[in-house]
Amino acid sequence: MSVTRADVAKIAALARLELEKEELERLTLEINGILRHVAQLTSLDLMETADLTPQIRSPLPATRPEAVEDADVLSCPPSAFAPDWRDNFFVVPPPPGMHRKEPE
Amino acid sequence: MSESEVALARITRMEEGTEGLNAFLALAEPEQLEPLAEGRLSGIPVAVKDNLSTAELPTTCGSRLLEGYQAPYEATVVRRLREAGGIVIGKTNLDECGMGSSTENSAYGPTLNPLDQSRVPGGSSGGSAAAVAAGYATMALGSDTGGSVRQPASFCGVVGIKPTYGRVSRYGLVAFASSLDQVGTIGRTVSDAAVLLGVIAGHDPRDATTANTPVTDFAGDVGKGVEGMVVGVPTDYFPEGLDPAIRALLDNALQRLVQAGAELESVSLPSTTHAIPAYYLLAPAEASSNLARFDGVRFGVRQSGPDIGSMYERTRRGFGDEVKRRIMLGTYALSSGYYDEYYGTAQRARSLVASDFARVFEKVDVLFTPTTPTTAFPLGANTDDPLAMYLSDVFTVTANLAGIPAMSVPVGEVEGLPVGGQVLAPWWHESKMLAVGGALEATMAGGVV
Repeated sequence: MSVTRADVAKIAALARLELEKEELERLTLEINGILRHVAQLTSLDLMETADLTPQIRSPLPATRPEAVEDADVLSCPPSAFAPDWRDNFFVVPPPPGMHRKEPE
Repeated sequence: MSESEVALARITRMEEGTEGLNAFLALAEPEQLEPLAEGRLSGIPVAVKDNLSTAELPTTCGSRLLEGYQAPYEATVVRRLREAGGIVIGKTNLDECGMGSSTENSAYGPTLNPLDQSRVPGGSSGGSAAAVAAGYATMALGSDTGGSVRQPASFCGVVGIKPTYGRVSRYGLVAFASSLDQVGTIGRTVSDAAVLLGVIAGHDPRDATTANTPVTDFAGDVGKGVEGMVVGVPTDYFPEGLDPAIRALLDNALQRLVQAGAELESVSLPSTTHAIPAYYLLAPAEASSNLARFDGVRFGVRQSGPDIGSMYERTRRGFGDEVKRRIMLGTYALSSGYYDEYYGTAQRARSLVASDFARVFEKVDVLFTPTTPTTAFPLGANTDDPLAMYLSDVFTVTANLAGIPAMSVPVGEVEGLPVGGQVLAPWWHESKMLAVGGALEATMAGGVV
């Protein structure tokens, strides 16, 4: 399996990355090099392998008791670090292309 | 002056000079050196990797995207070390978002190896390992996703521990690859690294992956000795091409364990060959998902654009080349039509690696291997060849894939550069690992175990 420059451009769009032409060229080469190396896995017959989370050998039960815990872990109130904080809400700038609607 | 005041004054003097290592991205202010409480770490200066959230110092993750970011809460491991009396002396440099093996991928410049400033300190926890090796801090916190604590510990001649997956809380750690990440400890001695591990370990209701297993006195395990223990020597980790000088030091270390009462047994872990390909599909895939939050809305210094898509893309221009490379690879591995071929296959290959370990741990107590195939390499030696850099993680990624504990202990020097030996133990058996690490250290120093 290998990728073309057009594939890499499409992946970049999916990943929300804006790449220069030179970066596109370089990443196409590098990704193909890495894919050649990982191709050894695709020749393995692994369909019978069941355990997909082998790193988890925890004696902790899969579920935990429903308990309300103190959720206030902030080291300072939101008003101290928020760009703007009003009526217990974070005030965020509008997305580009939209205008803030002032309350009447 | 307190120990931490002396440490801070020394770091400031050294790092501002021409011989600075660039080990720190932020230093504590003098008024932040007051201990929170009395405890096992009372007054001890601890360096903290800059991907762990701290309430009083910024957390940049080595990235331009998080420049100036001040977390509004504290990582559980940082809180625990402060509650034990430890002092956060500063935040250490790292490869951006933990991605790299040399600390050259930091947006704030590389850290230099204190033993030879023309060489890398390893990575991604290179700043933490360099800080301990240079004597700036008694111990340090790092994070280990594929060897990022053990490899820099090996390159800098200090001790590095990656605990069992689930042993230590990741709450407040900037996530890289969540099925692989563990917070680890670095110390000048096995005891120092073990004491810090004992302080930070244990269940945390804020991290659902932490296990409710008892935390024993890890520091007490260090001097227990190795009488009667069986140390497995995996042939797959001693390839033909391994540097003969490194091999000789490891053989010497094994003989010292035998003299201390251990038995050696040759074992095979044949799936080791699948580890690097599996790791370099899984880690980038998980990273591409975790790093989606750096979009200028949830996290990251926002760059404006004419529409929301442009805003995301302009903001994410702040990522460096290695992070972009891994996001691209991971996005591809997770994309429609390729998910099972790449991510699914890598997960299955990962279970083979874990099965190998489970099988050999039925007959041996621990395994002993090299930590890295080489000593610290010169700055710039591998920056143009990402695959060569990835392949240098060959001995360390297996412990992350399987979730087992592993540590690096200095075993000697080749041409003045330190070499680390790696001890791997079964899930939740840090005690065995520390006993072997302690024996290696004691016999290295000419002591008797």
